[in-house]
Amino acid sequence: MQILVVEDEPKVGNALREGLESEGYEVSLAQSGEEGFFHATTHALDLIILDVMLPGRDGIEVLQTLRKQGMKTPVLLLTAKDAIEDRVLGLDAGADDYLVKPFAFAELSARIRALLRRNKTETEAGLTVGRLEVDPVRRTVLREGQRIELTAREFELLEYLARNHGRIVSREMLARDVWKETARATPLDNVIDVHIARLRRKVDDPFETKLLQTVRGVGFILGEEPQ
Amino acid sequence: MKTLLGKTLRGRLTILYGVLLAAALAMYAAGSALYFLHDLTKQLDASLDRDVETVEGILSFSSDGRILLSTHEGEAGGDESNRGYLLEVWSPEGQLLYRSAQLAGLSLGPLRQFQQGHGRQKPQSYRLPDGERVRLTSRLHHMQGREVVVRLAVSEEPLWDEFWDMVSVLGLGLPVIVILIGITGYVVAGRAIKPVNDMAQRASRISAEHLSERLQTPNPDDELGRLGAAFNQTLARLESSFEQLRRFTADASHELRTPLTAIRSVGEVALQSPGNAAIYRDAIGSMLEEVDRLTRLVESLLTISRADAGHIQLQKSSIDLLDLAQESAALLDVLAEEKNQTIAVTGDAAVTVSADRLILRQALINLIDNAVKYSPPGGRIRVHVHVTDGNAVVEVLDSGPGIPSEHAEKVFERFYRIDKARSRAEGGAGLGLSIVQWAVSAHGGTVELKQDTESGCAFVIHLPLEPSDRRLQKKEG
Repeated sequence: MQILVVEDEPKVGNALREGLESEGYEVSLAQSGEEGFFHATTHALDLIILDVMLPGRDGIEVLQTLRKQGMKTPVLLLTAKDAIEDRVLGLDAGADDYLVKPFAFAELSARIRALLRRNKTETEAGLTVGRLEVDPVRRTVLREGQRIELTAREFELLEYLARNHGRIVSREMLARDVWKETARATPLDNVIDVHIARLRRKVDDPFETKLLQTVRGVGFILGEEPQ
Repeated sequence: MKTLLGKTLRGRLTILYGVLLAAALAMYAAGSALYFLHDLTKQLDASLDRDVETVEGILSFSSDGRILLSTHEGEAGGDESNRGYLLEVWSPEGQLLYRSAQLAGLSLGPLRQFQQGHGRQKPQSYRLPDGERVRLTSRLHHMQGREVVVRLAVSEEPLWDEFWDMVSVLGLGLPVIVILIGITGYVVAGRAIKPVNDMAQRASRISAEHLSERLQTPNPDDELGRLGAAFNQTLARLESSFEQLRRFTADASHELRTPLTAIRSVGEVALQSPGNAAIYRDAIGSMLEEVDRLTRLVESLLTISRADAGHIQLQKSSIDLLDLAQESAALLDVLAEEKNQTIAVTGDAAVTVSADRLILRQALINLIDNAVKYSPPGGRIRVHVHVTDGNAVVEVLDSGPGIPSEHAEKVFERFYRIDKARSRAEGGAGLGLSIVQWAVSAHGGTVELKQDTESGCAFVIHLPLEPSDRRLQKKEG
């Protein structure tokens, strides 16, 4: 998978490249709008991550030109502006998704996965993490063959973690995707933490292997090996 | 000079006064002169009348039919004794019978027809062929059985001399008066305007750094005093908003600096001595937590500044308040459960307001979250929705220790925290209630803190009912 990152701030650009490379993508980095535009028109790409504030030609302009030329590669915009009108402007210019700085890397990674699989239909199959089985259709959870009773919210939470197993899930992602809240607020973070604690009591406490890990300062991860 | 005068209010006032005064005085002078002229003419006419009678008394026909003018009773005199009368005697048919020597052969003009039934003509001004102005009167006179026309004139020259004397006195005096009054006016205007100048100078010295200074208003009841008072009020408001801004900036930078300091020191300490991966992970995690805090703080600040600038547009829809309260409480229910608290949502159904659901919900969530935080374990939180005085009311009551009265006024201020240490540990920056206040007032409502409950405190939101809801309210009333 080829990803182009267009970002003028070297620290951010390099962090993105390293992070994405560690997830198995091939990453090229461009530091200006011109360079990014040139690279995008001369290479076959699966995804472009485009900063809006760029020296010379800004991201929106680059994106509009690329779309005019018929390029269909998904584009994820990064920006420090989060006013609604800026989002609309970016999406109107042809962006597929939009992420406001500062963002959690886990969130970027999740959105990239979503964009890359957008056109592929997912098969509803049971989710298995180690010896934990989550059945989204029958809404049942089995661990080592034992049935675990969860509330509706707890089930949705566990299902989301299981779908992203092995990857960090941030509180922002949970707030947006599980609680369907558009604005993130302190009370909600506390609510998420309480639910995670309850889930952990039911899913992990009775068993030796702990599956649900907290990654301090980042979020949560469901997986066999603690990272 | 003229442009300089025209520039200042004082100069303009002086010029205006001068012009008006000159016009008024000129009109007055012209009126006086005309009246004077009229009066003189009347006097002249009266003496002319008397003279005519005198002349008629001394006129007679001589035996040969000539006109004689006698100076003394019974004595027929020559032309020398006519006392300088400008006199003509005509026959009614238009024949000149006599012309006094004083006229030196000059004519008093053509004879005019007498009106029917009138024996005299009104005196009129006439200019003799040599240029002398005279006042002329004509009368029919019966004398020794014959009718003659007596025409007598007196010179107007003394009258006009007197008139022009008066006009020149007035004409010379008027500019002097105007100039004198102009100067006085300039001085007086200067006096009157001096407080304004003083005010302007003082006001220009009051800068952002000296907003506590005020204008002096010696007499608060006159126009200038009111101006000064209005200006002082503006200054007071300006000072308070500057003070608010200054405090906000100071608080904001303090709040921003705290996590930055934490990030820095955690990073530095972790790097100081070689450690294992677990120590580094812990340090990085701790730094990321602070980054998260910073991010959220910046987001809140952005929300507030956008709200201040009026950039947030409300997406209004019809909202059932009880519904919204239940939804908000349900979201936070799990937090209350952790503390063995209960959240009870009670009240009237179908109390609807027109509001932006997300924003109003955020306000309710902040209030309920606060109530959960400050109520003791096992405590009770009540959310009550009802209608009072035509307003939708939501009350959020906790069972906490209440808020000390010295803080009650300030809880809605940005960054205000009653117990700094405690609140920071719980992740708040003191912006929750100010966001509540903004959210409610953006919907035309108010939020207040009530302390009079037996335990804990109550935050009461008043919102205008949706217009269609007023009918419901009337039925109840």
